[in-house]
Amino acid sequence: MAEDDAIFDPSLKKKKKKKKTSFDIDAALAEGNTENDSAPANDADNKESAAAGEDQDDGNVDIDLDFTKAKKKKKKKPFTAEDLDSVDNKIEIPQEGSGDVDGGVDDSFDLELDFSLSKKKKKTKKPKNLDDLIAETEEKDEDQENVDENSTQWVNSDRDYTYDELLNRAFEIMRDKNPDMAAGKKQKFVMRPPQVVKIGAKKTSFANFTEICKMLHRQPKHLLDFLLAELGTSGSVDGNSQLIIKGRFQQKQIENVLRRYIKEYVTCHTCRSPDTILQKDTRLFFLQCETCGSRCSVASIKSGFQAVTSKRAAIRAKTA
Amino acid sequence: MSIQNLNTFDPFADASKGADDDVQDGLVHIRIQQRNGRKTLTTVQGLSKEYDLKKIVRACKKEFACNGTVIEHPEYGEVLQLQGDQRENICQWLTKAGLAKPDQLKVHGF
Repeated sequence: MAEDDAIFDPSLKKKKKKKKTSFDIDAALAEGNTENDSAPANDADNKESAAAGEDQDDGNVDIDLDFTKAKKKKKKKPFTAEDLDSVDNKIEIPQEGSGDVDGGVDDSFDLELDFSLSKKKKKTKKPKNLDDLIAETEEKDEDQENVDENSTQWVNSDRDYTYDELLNRAFEIMRDKNPDMAAGKKQKFVMRPPQVVKIGAKKTSFANFTEICKMLHRQPKHLLDFLLAELGTSGSVDGNSQLIIKGRFQQKQIENVLRRYIKEYVTCHTCRSPDTILQKDTRLFFLQCETCGSRCSVASIKSGFQAVTSKRAAIRAKTA
Repeated sequence: MSIQNLNTFDPFADASKGADDDVQDGLVHIRIQQRNGRKTLTTVQGLSKEYDLKKIVRACKKEFACNGTVIEHPEYGEVLQLQGDQRENICQWLTKAGLAKPDQLKVHGF
């Protein structure tokens, strides 16, 4: 994910800024609403279906796009408290129906994708990639034919094999052994989005926290440490196995942090396979990949410098 | 005949000195913290001691139109603290001013 590091690109920055200016509670709530509103509001969706249809082509979520949609809908639909309550349930239900683009798209977010990139970039990228892939496979096919001739040639004859022949042979075997790789398919690691619900004005609940931990095969404590260190807050897991975090966070923000966690602590740094084990070895965490067998150390979780954000008088009263 | 092992060559000379130009080494951690309401704080930890943090904060305050201070921390040294979400601003500014490379900046938070 080299693109991840391109976050400081000034062109991207503009867009982010725009997003930030439109950040308010209503928008945040409306974002949650898009998922459950979309079913009854199909008619309204039809207008956007042109844009949304494009989204579906990729079959992937673009959060930026969703956000703007949410804003649009906010204007159309008055927001009720009832909706907020139902957000929780409805996200879980896999939404069907052709008109319902938002839900289907929203259901899973995909780690192979780089969300920091804008929609347009992705699009221009995709067809290119596909073309490349097709061209590549075509080339490979041609190669294979050559190989077939060549391999028979040197197997039967007494002459020395060339480097190219051997290379082709190796690739051929590789392709035979795992056909997925031959097709140029990347293994996609699809995850369920975190369910983030507000509790009052100052707390946020991360409802499917333990579920996500199970999916990632990580200790809840480790993920908890990371989340709290990154967000710079405090929080705990309550009786219903949901995480309560102090502070107001949106689903998108938690998703961002989760994505960073997965990138650092779940996917293998060498082959990007999510099939890894996190081990603690002499105070250091090591990531052992089950697919490629690589083993590398990962950064320890540090919260770093924390500024004083609460009332100083209150702290003084507590300590004294 | 000189014996190579006895040469007074310090193999760690450039490691301690900092390999290249004015760019510092080590990661710069940029964090965001929520305050009450929708207010936030941005902290910049890990800037090299070679830099005059007070001058940096003065420039940043002017550039981003926010307030800011330098906080002395026993463990983390001098830490820059700016009001509001200045994560992108500070990243851009640090790279533009040549104080840190983009890959040395580590942005935390949501």
